[in-house]
Amino acid sequence: MEEKALKPQKNTRTIEEINQKIRNGDVQVLTAEEMKKLVESSGVEVAFREVDVVTTGTFGAMCSSGAIVNIGHPDPPIKLENAWMNDVPICHPGAAVDLYIGASAMSTTQPYEYGGGHLIEDLVAGKEVELKANSYGTDCYPRTQVKTNLTKDDLNQFYLLNFRNCYQHYNCAVNSRDETIYTYMGKLLPRMRNATFSGAGELNPLMNDPDYETIGIGTRIFLGGTQGYVIGEGTQHEASSLNGTLMVRGNAKKMSPEFLRGAAFTRYGTTLYVGLGIPIPILNEGLARKTAIRDEEIFTNVVDYGVPRRDRPKLARVSYKELKSGGVTVGDRRIRVSSLSSLKKARKIAGTLKDWIVQGEFFLSAPVERLPLDGVFKSMKQTEAIVFVVNVMQKAVTCRETDAVSAIAKRIVTKSVNHIVVVDEQGKLTGIVTSWDITRALAEGKDALAEIVTRHVFTAKPDEPLETASKRLAQHNISALPVIDNKNKVLGIVTSEDISKQLGRK
Amino acid sequence: MVRILLKFSEQTVEQPIVSQIILDLKVPLNILTAYVNSKGGEVLAEIPDEALEKVVAAFRMRNVTVSLPKLIEVDTEKCISCGSCVALCPVEAITLDEEYSVVFDKEKCVGSTCSACVDACPARAIKSVKQNNHELHSSR
Ligand code: SF4
Ligand code: SF4
Repeated sequence: MEEKALKPQKNTRTIEEINQKIRNGDVQVLTAEEMKKLVESSGVEVAFREVDVVTTGTFGAMCSSGAIVNIGHPDPPIKLENAWMNDVPICHPGAAVDLYIGASAMSTTQPYEYGGGHLIEDLVAGKEVELKANSYGTDCYPRTQVKTNLTKDDLNQFYLLNFRNCYQHYNCAVNSRDETIYTYMGKLLPRMRNATFSGAGELNPLMNDPDYETIGIGTRIFLGGTQGYVIGEGTQHEASSLNGTLMVRGNAKKMSPEFLRGAAFTRYGTTLYVGLGIPIPILNEGLARKTAIRDEEIFTNVVDYGVPRRDRPKLARVSYKELKSGGVTVGDRRIRVSSLSSLKKARKIAGTLKDWIVQGEFFLSAPVERLPLDGVFKSMKQTEAIVFVVNVMQKAVTCRETDAVSAIAKRIVTKSVNHIVVVDEQGKLTGIVTSWDITRALAEGKDALAEIVTRHVFTAKPDEPLETASKRLAQHNISALPVIDNKNKVLGIVTSEDISKQLGRK
Repeated sequence: MVRILLKFSEQTVEQPIVSQIILDLKVPLNILTAYVNSKGGEVLAEIPDEALEKVVAAFRMRNVTVSLPKLIEVDTEKCISCGSCVALCPVEAITLDEEYSVVFDKEKCVGSTCSACVDACPARAIKSVKQNNHELHSSR
């Protein structure tokens, strides 16, 4: 007691002090999950006093990733124009032999199955890859063709250079359509029979330092199994809405395929799973409190990816606690949900980073510059107008199921239409009949509509781009789609004739 | 045990073929899944390895199409434990344990007749494989 009174408690600590403790071997490190437990049991004050560093981690598909490679000059030299590695087209943005492998570039021979992400993984794993390139030839770089096999040891530089990683949180995706869709959020079954989400929640680095007190340019991090750096905010970074992102760099020659994996999303494309972890120095009580954030305090939206628009409808708000429990509630429905990013690996990354620090292999660095807190993620400025279903749909000619075929035949003639939409007393869609159905019914002497109506009807939504509606017509080989609202009420009809007129006008 | 997939046509679905064969051959036939309606049906069943040939012959004689469905396997080396496959499985053959490792229950999985998880695996760790070297001659 007495001693305490003489030596007042400090209410801050510095990164230099923490690094000294790492050198001395008495640094106190907890993973983010352990920190939450400690704060819960002992409070923020104790946690601040006892803990120097909290480690975080995430392992997920991060498409805006890639690697810079310098492949050296052949003799005679070449100024690369087009290059492929294992048939993956490689970007050539700079001087003669500098290349950028984009994670989402797809192989020309195995598209959707092998891509830049897999290529990076193969190189990291020490495998040999085939380089093919051509060029137009210059006086100083006369060569026009080159073909060779390379491993990472043959490369001068091989750096992971990711321009958007580590999304702070992300949507939970469902699909309201009648068909399975394949998206960057994975396979989404029809009629919301499953949901997917991404992100590590309470383990996510940015969630544990939401005000970017310690994460900035120059922060040393865990990247792909080795040490890397934050080099700035990522593209689309928006700290204010908890949509922060990071731009990072690390020496890929030292990385491990355990934390860097190529991946294939069916009918979407290829990508790279990146393992990333950040140590948060507990410089003050505020950071002790922030690193105690729990999954139940982190929310995201359930978003309908069945709607092919930029601003997709948000159907519910859910916490990461619910997401990790395997099911979310939307309206009165319970939907099973899967993670797309690996929580197991996220934990392993936080644990590995902790071990590195405790063993004196990893020192913390103070950022040389803060990341912006006020940036806004703007949408694309569009100079060309997009046509939506609502712009071309017409009033639908409707009938009731109880109407006689002969009466409908008359309506087809007077209104000169080919499709009659069948509705109930509330104007909700129950079926469709075509002039062809009617002709046949008349020929066969049938007069009950119920016998000829098509009940499985493909539909369109008013706010959907005309292009996707047009694709649906072609896919099912039909010529019209009733346009309905969310309650199945008929708003109009869009026909292939209207669509071709519209597209012809362009 | 070996799994066989039986396809019944509109004509054969009405007849009590499965029970007839169980009685005739005295072979235990364990039905795993069955989707049947008036237009035909599909039955996935399990029988002892040694009975395969005679059971297949008996079904084919009664105009039932028989094939060997493939089994689903998860390559644990390739699996990145993302969990994408979990919510897609209709029979909960894939689950996550408390460490978020993926646990695959081969017994529960209905095999290649389902395959819902296969094209959803970003690591391509889920494969369908032939049942231990069984082959059917002249399939129909
Ligand atoms: S094949 Fe079907 S039943 Fe088997 S594990 Fe995959 S989803 Fe489940
Ligand atoms: S989807 Fe593939 S990689 Fe992901 S957990 Fe399932 S088997 Fe493993």
